[in-house]
Amino acid sequence: MKHSSLRAGATGPAVLAVCAVFAVSACTAPAPPRAAATPSPAPVPTGVMVLPAPTGGSAVGSTVLFLDDTSRPDPWEPQAEGRRLRVTLWYPAASADGERAPYMSAKESELLLKGGRVVTGAPYDILSKTETNAVKDAEPAGARRGLPLVVLSPGWTKPVATLTSLAEELASQGYVVAGIDHTYETYATTLADGSVAECVACDFDTDFGFQSRVVQSRASDVSFVLDQLTGSAWKGSALIDPARIAMVGQSLGGGSAVAAMVKDPRVRAGVNMDGTTYARIPKTGLPRPFMFLGNPQHVPGGRDTSWDRDWKLLTGWKRWLTFTGGEHQSFTDTVLMGGALGVKQTGTLGAERAVELTRTYVTAFLDRHLRGRPQTLLERDSPEYPEVTFNG
Amino acid sequence: MSTCKPPEPPVPAETPTTIDVVEEAYYCVFAHHYKGVTVDAEEMLTDGFIALTQELSRSGRDLAVAVMPPLQGDRWKDWQAFEATFRTITDRLPDDVDEKLAVVTLEAMLAGLGANHTTWIHDDPPRHPDFHNGDMYSLGLLTNITSLQAGSDLGGALGPLFVTTVLGGAASKAGLRPGDVIEAVNGESPFVGGRLTSAIKQVYPRYPQTRPVRLQLLRESTGRRWSVELRPGLFQPDLALLQGVTSRLVGDVAYLKVTGFAPQVADRIFRVLSRLGSQRPLKGLVLDMRGNTGGREEEVNRLLGAFAHGKVTGHHCSPDGTCRPAKTDDSVTLLNLPLVVLTDRGCVSACEHFSSAVQALGVGKLVGTRTGGVVFGLPKPYLLGNGTVLQLPTTHHLGVNREEIDEVGVAPDVHLPLTAADVAAGRDPALGKALSLLGSPS
Repeated sequence: MKHSSLRAGATGPAVLAVCAVFAVSACTAPAPPRAAATPSPAPVPTGVMVLPAPTGGSAVGSTVLFLDDTSRPDPWEPQAEGRRLRVTLWYPAASADGERAPYMSAKESELLLKGGRVVTGAPYDILSKTETNAVKDAEPAGARRGLPLVVLSPGWTKPVATLTSLAEELASQGYVVAGIDHTYETYATTLADGSVAECVACDFDTDFGFQSRVVQSRASDVSFVLDQLTGSAWKGSALIDPARIAMVGQSLGGGSAVAAMVKDPRVRAGVNMDGTTYARIPKTGLPRPFMFLGNPQHVPGGRDTSWDRDWKLLTGWKRWLTFTGGEHQSFTDTVLMGGALGVKQTGTLGAERAVELTRTYVTAFLDRHLRGRPQTLLERDSPEYPEVTFNG
Repeated sequence: MSTCKPPEPPVPAETPTTIDVVEEAYYCVFAHHYKGVTVDAEEMLTDGFIALTQELSRSGRDLAVAVMPPLQGDRWKDWQAFEATFRTITDRLPDDVDEKLAVVTLEAMLAGLGANHTTWIHDDPPRHPDFHNGDMYSLGLLTNITSLQAGSDLGGALGPLFVTTVLGGAASKAGLRPGDVIEAVNGESPFVGGRLTSAIKQVYPRYPQTRPVRLQLLRESTGRRWSVELRPGLFQPDLALLQGVTSRLVGDVAYLKVTGFAPQVADRIFRVLSRLGSQRPLKGLVLDMRGNTGGREEEVNRLLGAFAHGKVTGHHCSPDGTCRPAKTDDSVTLLNLPLVVLTDRGCVSACEHFSSAVQALGVGKLVGTRTGGVVFGLPKPYLLGNGTVLQLPTTHHLGVNREEIDEVGVAPDVHLPLTAADVAAGRDPALGKALSLLGSPS
């Protein structure tokens, strides 16, 4: 078999793909957090992806910061000078006028599609044509220490741009959102000098204990970014309230939210969107608010036992919700890419509805815990969102 | 007749194993296993029935009706007879016992095929409730006899048994060191008459086994003899020790230890070499494949593509004798580096495909001990009706010159086993030999 066709094993369930090899001991190893299964191709790509407009009251600005942590080596690339991170900020803007922020570059689009083996006939730069709802480098709007901060962490190999629809919504609702591209853990990250860092860490993703290692590293990335943002790294830094910080992530980024909260008490609340968890929560428990948002397989007693294990150690306010008809990408822009790329989605939940549910429940969680606003949505089933199931 | 098929997402949830699932597997073997054409159905059913009666006996539920039905050498009719007897037995037993009987029957039928890489993936092994990714559950030590050998290679193992690595856990707390000779395991000698005994298996307990294991130890350097009791447990090993590829420069020779042929490992190796090569011009390469548990065939062919182009690296042979050649991946740039590969009994499967090709193609020398001989053939997955998966080798692996490697292993050019004294002193004679073959002072 050719290299490429065996790689098609990635379209199968990861746990099986791991076993279909010429090895004797790999079959019980947990599947690495590789790129999620690529949906099978549908016939025709249909133009560009459309990001739903944010629903909050504020205009949205977006800017990119390059933050270099020289105090530690890069965990994956020995030739890098320290840990260099690219952070995309979304925030309430003073004005809705101005050039739109780019979604991603043509090169990033190409590397992301090639890395995910999305070969459908859609042009490789297609994602760079996506129109965002944020004004590039707009003036931030807010009172001193008036804006709560939300850190976003994407899934393995995915740029944080794939969480843009959530990020824009949160910014329109009055949050500063800091999306981290964890360098070398993504198929493409354009760095300050214009070079594009590729997925060096993908070399390591079959190593024993890799997932544990990567969430620890992401927790360090988060702490560094918090130091910088609550310092003076951004012209709007003074608007951030350092006492109201949360973290939200999808897949490995969601698992990293747990790791970051264990490591850094500044992160007061967290949301894990469909990610297996890897960090060790102290036996005394994690007393801060936390929410699991999952696809329908991510239920108590399900195949991924990590949420069951950690649920017992979450000793603060907590919820465990699943979206009926959802899939692993229901929490990201990837569900919106189906038409543009000509790929079928695997879930039955519509793409726009998936985005709406994610935006609604994440916003409710943050409003509840960073702004002290009671949320009936989080207390019980809601007739307007029948797809949402309370598992705990 | 066979209804098993390659698995596709979404993965169905696993349901209990019934006699219908055993039937499906039975026909799946005939349809897809390399031995499917030649396998004797009577033997397979007999193997299954023996295991079934042993389970009945062990559980104290033996029955007068548990009598092997007469077989006539017809796969279909013999199955009918077998199934009828199975149902007669299980009609008299509770449901959970029925499932256990179906499981042991199928496991024994597959084991009886005598072909490694024939596996049935079912019923995920239980995990310690506090298990986290990167944790291990064991005594915290590795020995010169790997856990895989302990399960399959009692015949070829070389004594004495000694500690090679202390990973953590109980072994670390008890102060064990590499090179400590294990003279007895729970009072049993690991080697009797020069042959490895099943005592070795107790050195590798799995969760939920919690019973302490008593080791009688000898530290040759001091002559100290003592015994320790190690309790299996969960611990966090040093992950740096367990990376898939570790490397260093020894003079102007690159030394890389490669633990498996994971996806993209060949490119990972090339990137490491390019980095080492940028520090100084490389004169040679040592690939330490000791303990390499195998992996993807395309990675073997890609790695070999760095040393030769346009070559056959091995053969995948069908029961009718036709063979599909595996070939070097010629899209790789040739490294033009002299190569030595370190091997031992722990080098199995894809590792043996690689080592045998290195030797047969003359692109490098092998130093160490004979490989494990666990290379029957490339397995393919088949989904059974209850959501479990049967992995069956559909072809049989042969070497570059169509030589048998399975069970035989690959003999190194230079035979140089690792000794307890070497390990205790931190010496690696095989690496030393490799460096001298590459013309580099060690």
